[in-house]
Amino acid sequence: MSTPKPFAVDEESVLMAFSMEPSHGRETLERYITEYPQHATALIDCSIDLLHELPVADVSATEVPNSAVDKAWQRFERAVQQPDAEVANPFAKLNTSSFKSLARSLDVSNLFLMRVRDRAIRAATIPARFVEKLASELGATVQAVGAYLQGPPGMVSGQAFRSSVKPSVGEQITFDQAVATSQLTPEQQATLKALSD
Amino acid sequence: MPEPLKSKDKHGAPFTRPPEIEDCLARLESLNAAARLQAFASGSRKSSGYVPSEALTYFLRLAHATGAKDEFKQIFGLLMKRVGQSLFATVSDGRMAEAQGIREEIMGRFAERIAKDCNGRFAMLDFFEVRFDLAFARFRKSALRQIGPSSVLTEPLSTDGEEGQDISREVEEAAADFLGGDPQKIDDPAFRLELDAAIDALPDDQRRVVGLLRQGFQIDSKDPNIMTIAKMLQCDERTVRNRRDRAYKTLKSVLQEDA
Repeated sequence: MSTPKPFAVDEESVLMAFSMEPSHGRETLERYITEYPQHATALIDCSIDLLHELPVADVSATEVPNSAVDKAWQRFERAVQQPDAEVANPFAKLNTSSFKSLARSLDVSNLFLMRVRDRAIRAATIPARFVEKLASELGATVQAVGAYLQGPPGMVSGQAFRSSVKPSVGEQITFDQAVATSQLTPEQQATLKALSD
Repeated sequence: MPEPLKSKDKHGAPFTRPPEIEDCLARLESLNAAARLQAFASGSRKSSGYVPSEALTYFLRLAHATGAKDEFKQIFGLLMKRVGQSLFATVSDGRMAEAQGIREEIMGRFAERIAKDCNGRFAMLDFFEVRFDLAFARFRKSALRQIGPSSVLTEPLSTDGEEGQDISREVEEAAADFLGGDPQKIDDPAFRLELDAAIDALPDDQRRVVGLLRQGFQIDSKDPNIMTIAKMLQCDERTVRNRRDRAYKTLKSVLQEDA
């Protein structure tokens, strides 16, 4: 029984599933704890919260000062401008076979996807709809993938695929150029070009 | 069609929001941004046009994703006001020293979580689109554990809401005992709320024991098939009893002070 689950079930997802159960009584809690022993304490805490959710007082009399909202906004702006030190490579977690299956599900050639991964394509020329599709297949956010694609071109080490072209760090090409020169079928090319419209 | 959530369930399918939230999103999507903002502005849960915070979270994220900066800032402000209001009840001036500063810190941390979600590799706000109050309660508690005051004062809370829930015999007896043997008290909704608040303020290990007892779990059992508190918390049954006793002692002193 070593079949890996398609992804690790993180705590928040488990709690979300639990909170959406029609009942949160003893049986439900027992079932979840048996299934996710690693999240037992979080589940217990969550069940207690659900058991006596304090009634939300409608405190219309007390007004939240604007200064408090402004302070929160400033903290938001500071935090949003300092993203996590390095932009993560959303492709990093893919092994050879999952890289290929990603190419298949996007209906592009491996070479084309490699060019995307290695940032050989100028980010500004990549249609937003392609980035969206890619992000959703990668299970990442559009912003994260977009930020990654804007980085400098380079060869990503640690990943090797058979290719009929010599790999090199060269000038970035446009999306259309990549579509035309990446061993894509005419249908694939047409589909990708349609994304730019 | 509202965008599906990023988080996936154990079968790999995206989580779905509760149907009433999905309906609400679909309805709001048909409006223009200005009309939506107007709908969001009502902060009173009792008003008929009240839009749940789950929906505000959804449109906040959508505004960021689509680069609607002005709309984003406005929804951000409205959501923060709601969060700030809920904090008046849970981190009240009467219950904690320096409550104002703590409330602002929690709001600031929530703002940073929104920023993380915006920058994000992680779907940091999905839970808030599914059950905002619960997700925020968890967020608040973990923040309070890090920054909260060491001593928590209690205060009587308002009495509306909270339908009857069975209280286990043990807690009931203990609670009756707290009040010098006045079992009538336990049926008093005001007392129940005080009890809830007092339990909420217990240290984690004790709160879990009391919470599980209230749900009807037993401390230990000879039958290995029965899920017991000792098993769930992975500790010895004597530890569980100890925590329970300490919790009751605290509850007793807190509630008697109030009585």
